[in-house]
Amino acid sequence: MLLVHPVKEVGKFLPVLIGLVVAGSASGVGPWTLLGVGVPVGLGVVRYLTTTYRITGGRVELRRGLLQRHTLSTPVDRVRTVDLSASPIHRVLGLATVVIGTGSVASDSDERLELDALPREEAARLRAELLHAVAPAGTAAPGVAPEPERVVARFSARWLWYAPFSGTVLVGLGAIVGVGLQLMESVEIRVSEDDLAAIGQSFVLTLVVGAGLLVTLLAVGGYLVTNGGFVLSRHGTAWHVRRGLLTRRETSIDVARLAGATLGEPAALRVARGRRVGAIVTGLSGDQASSAVLLPPAPRSTGYDVVSAVLGTAAPVTGALLPHGRAATTRRYSRALLGALPFVAAVVAAVLAGAPGWLLPATAIPLVVALALAWDRARALGHAFLDGHVVMRSGSALRTRDALAAGHVIGWNQRATWFQRRAGLVSLAATTAGGKGQVHVPDVPVSAAIALAEAATPGLIGQFCATERSRP
Amino acid sequence: MSQLRDPAHRVSPRARLMWQVESGISALFVAAGLGVAAVLAGPDGLRWWLVGLAVVVCGTAAVVVPQWRYRVHRWEVSANAVYTQRGWWARERRIAPMSRVQTVDFAQGPLARMFGLATVTVTTASAAGPLQIEGLDRSVALALVDELTRKADLVEGDAT
Repeated sequence: MLLVHPVKEVGKFLPVLIGLVVAGSASGVGPWTLLGVGVPVGLGVVRYLTTTYRITGGRVELRRGLLQRHTLSTPVDRVRTVDLSASPIHRVLGLATVVIGTGSVASDSDERLELDALPREEAARLRAELLHAVAPAGTAAPGVAPEPERVVARFSARWLWYAPFSGTVLVGLGAIVGVGLQLMESVEIRVSEDDLAAIGQSFVLTLVVGAGLLVTLLAVGGYLVTNGGFVLSRHGTAWHVRRGLLTRRETSIDVARLAGATLGEPAALRVARGRRVGAIVTGLSGDQASSAVLLPPAPRSTGYDVVSAVLGTAAPVTGALLPHGRAATTRRYSRALLGALPFVAAVVAAVLAGAPGWLLPATAIPLVVALALAWDRARALGHAFLDGHVVMRSGSALRTRDALAAGHVIGWNQRATWFQRRAGLVSLAATTAGGKGQVHVPDVPVSAAIALAEAATPGLIGQFCATERSRP
Repeated sequence: MSQLRDPAHRVSPRARLMWQVESGISALFVAAGLGVAAVLAGPDGLRWWLVGLAVVVCGTAAVVVPQWRYRVHRWEVSANAVYTQRGWWARERRIAPMSRVQTVDFAQGPLARMFGLATVTVTTASAAGPLQIEGLDRSVALALVDELTRKADLVEGDAT
């Protein structure tokens, strides 16, 4: 385990090292090169020798530093997740890095509970110890052999089909276009109208197809590197997610902290009949999203299976949702059409200002897009209370179906603009201590919002209700 | 058909004056800015009309919006929950069970101190927004903080 830090440090200093080697060979000064290797290796050794950890009195303590001592300590029962990761170097040496997630917002590397380069067995033992300590009393009686690991989902090559539909493709295309523009700017290629005329159709076609192919390959490759060897399994009182082709990551989520699950069904993935699943973990905020992946883009049925297994019931994914009615549908259409209005107005203004009249039919494009979006968004809206879970679905391009266990609902927010109040609708959010802090759905009929809240948290909202329609 | 009613209590009536002073100050700046812009760039003849319009609009907003907020801002504490309502165009109602209250915060800005008012903020473990009651009478706010702290104390666990 001593090896990893020096190796990593040398990696960081590699550019300097090469420079030193070149300088050394050019001027014939030998010792310089030695110093170049010696300093980073020495730093690595010092870092290794000065880092210690212990679990004592219900607290995890981490000390490090030679000149500036750092002591980090946190109560064991605040541990939400334990992350094991192993880069290729670590894997060759049989080591792992442990990152203990406490839901703290500190992003500074000095303030994270991170133990680099523990032997694998010790890392696994530490994880078991940390997660066992937070397990609710009674679930694991002493003396009983730990239940065997139960695998819920395992990577298969078929999943690669969903990689191009996961949204990374668009990001990749954007990056390629951006880089292309930047290149054109830096080498000052001036495109004149003659040049444009000279470009053949086949050339453009090749360019487009080539870029598409490249991005698809990148997406599939990225998916494979991140998610290769994916396994989701339940072991004792924790869910384990293992993934990564080169750098192997293992995330463990304590069952008691698992507040709910998000079934991601973005439009592109729906076309490919795929789904993705994320976990809503108490004390783990939305920006630590990588720890909360339960399933990368994968077949729909696998997505359903994973959500059912994680929640302990299939109802939240298979159950029917209550639609939000006509007022909500009308609002979807009016809002989408309002969004298309500027584009239509721009085209009309251009024609009035002297642009050719055949542009007018082009106004149909934003209108059609808006109508399609509104139709899909209206269809998506739904909510229900299914087998102990608040379930909400909304969105079109980035549609999600969130299921939050009733016991993890810690409040209700209702927001209504003047327009919504006139339509008898309200945007409803159930707040929770993890994920984005809430699951929410727009435009719920007022009485349905009350019914949902009353079902999930009985006796909370009813006391503030007026049965008759009164307007004070 | 059941629906949420408004929370029972209004904030202190003095809050209206405080908000009016507060928005009056910012309205002064906005009106001055608009006035200068109208004098410099406005068309001849209309110039002083535009300045007058800016002053009237900002003045009205400064007087009327606080009245509106006062009508909407309400709060209520029951045996097991806190309920607040705020906003004037978009009305936001928030309910948090007492068992999930994590911190109770009492704050007084310089202006609020002059008026003897205070803001009480109740947070839960959720990142999706605390419950805030502005413009409470100082003594009412202190009593409320006391009551909330006492009730939240009775609950065991870490309220997540």
